[in-house]
Amino acid sequence: MSELLKFHFTPADKARPEEENLHAQVSTDVTDVIKALQEQFPGAVTDVSVYAGEHTVFVARENLLQVCTALKETLGFTYLVDLAGVDRFQEDAPRYEVYYCFVNLKAGKRLRIKVRVEEDDAVVPSITGLFKAADWNERECFDMLGIRFKGHPDLRRMYMPEDFEYYPQRKEFPLLGIPGSLPLPPRTPEGELTLDPFAAARSGSPVKSYQEPAANDEK
Amino acid sequence: MDSATGYLTTTVDSVVNWARSNSLMPMPMGLACCAIEMMAFGGPKYDVGRFGSEAMRFSPRQADLMIVAGWCSYKMAHAIRRVWDQMADPKWCIAMGACASSGGMHRCYGVVQGIDNFLPVDVYIPGCPPRPEAVIHALMDIQEKIRNEYSIAKDYTSGPQQSTVAPINPGILTSDGRTTAGGV
Repeated sequence: MSELLKFHFTPADKARPEEENLHAQVSTDVTDVIKALQEQFPGAVTDVSVYAGEHTVFVARENLLQVCTALKETLGFTYLVDLAGVDRFQEDAPRYEVYYCFVNLKAGKRLRIKVRVEEDDAVVPSITGLFKAADWNERECFDMLGIRFKGHPDLRRMYMPEDFEYYPQRKEFPLLGIPGSLPLPPRTPEGELTLDPFAAARSGSPVKSYQEPAANDEK
Repeated sequence: MDSATGYLTTTVDSVVNWARSNSLMPMPMGLACCAIEMMAFGGPKYDVGRFGSEAMRFSPRQADLMIVAGWCSYKMAHAIRRVWDQMADPKWCIAMGACASSGGMHRCYGVVQGIDNFLPVDVYIPGCPPRPEAVIHALMDIQEKIRNEYSIAKDYTSGPQQSTVAPINPGILTSDGRTTAGGV
């Protein structure tokens, strides 16, 4: 980090009181699955919260791979719908959170799992070995929040240039970005594309902007 | 018209500007929803072929007008600049829509706040997205700009200078020596 960032924020409103969710469906009621997980891995499920008729299972980081393996192979949750990170920005709790949404297509059930990690140790085991769909989602989460996924085969940035040194969805990152952190192209054709965001992908020296980049077999 | 029927006098600028302005070949740099309107602009209903610009050229080497339609991220800016530099001179640029002109509603870290940060823009079109008529109007503005270009080095900064030579009245000189009235 070349510059220390600070977030000036307004505390959020209090959560709304629990009320009956008329839209909650049978598919979100997964008490039997949670019970099976608690019996199979004692201590892995740290907390279960219910909000608006939907269950959320909090899993310890050490047990994430075991839990996901069991979900996929014995409990039938073969479809990973979504995976993303959350910056909670609270001082008294682990700052980052990664959530996983699974679907059991045969039983028609949905399950949400969350893993919380501290800011100074934001590493989560990668589940790409179990669910290939997690690949790009984990890269996106790494790109936006800086959470590292241990065991990911190709943990590069997803959206931002590969030499970008900030994580834009962290709360302290200013909305309009850091001036000068993202390079613009030169204004003249002869200018050097030294700050090329694709330089790592091309693995070559910068070329003039009016020239074609060399193909891999031309180098 | 051949030598048997006569010939036509004009200036090189008139002919070149007439040719350039009526055969602009757009390079469609469609980045977002504005590109849908740009397709309508090129399609049969709005029929930009009436202005000689119906031939969209996806190769920058064959295009002379770039229409940047949509919001442009910092990563894409490098690709756009490369395409722009590969286009042969003379070339013109239209920033289509609020996002290309100023960043628009994408006031955030990843979007360039106006493509004039790295491209020389000739015409800006407001709108989100602009209607195809607005794009046609921008094209007509570019045509107007081309028709007023001069190729011979002359100081026009203090306005058109009065020539001491009598102006040549353009007309058609027929083979029997008569001059018919009328310009180009």
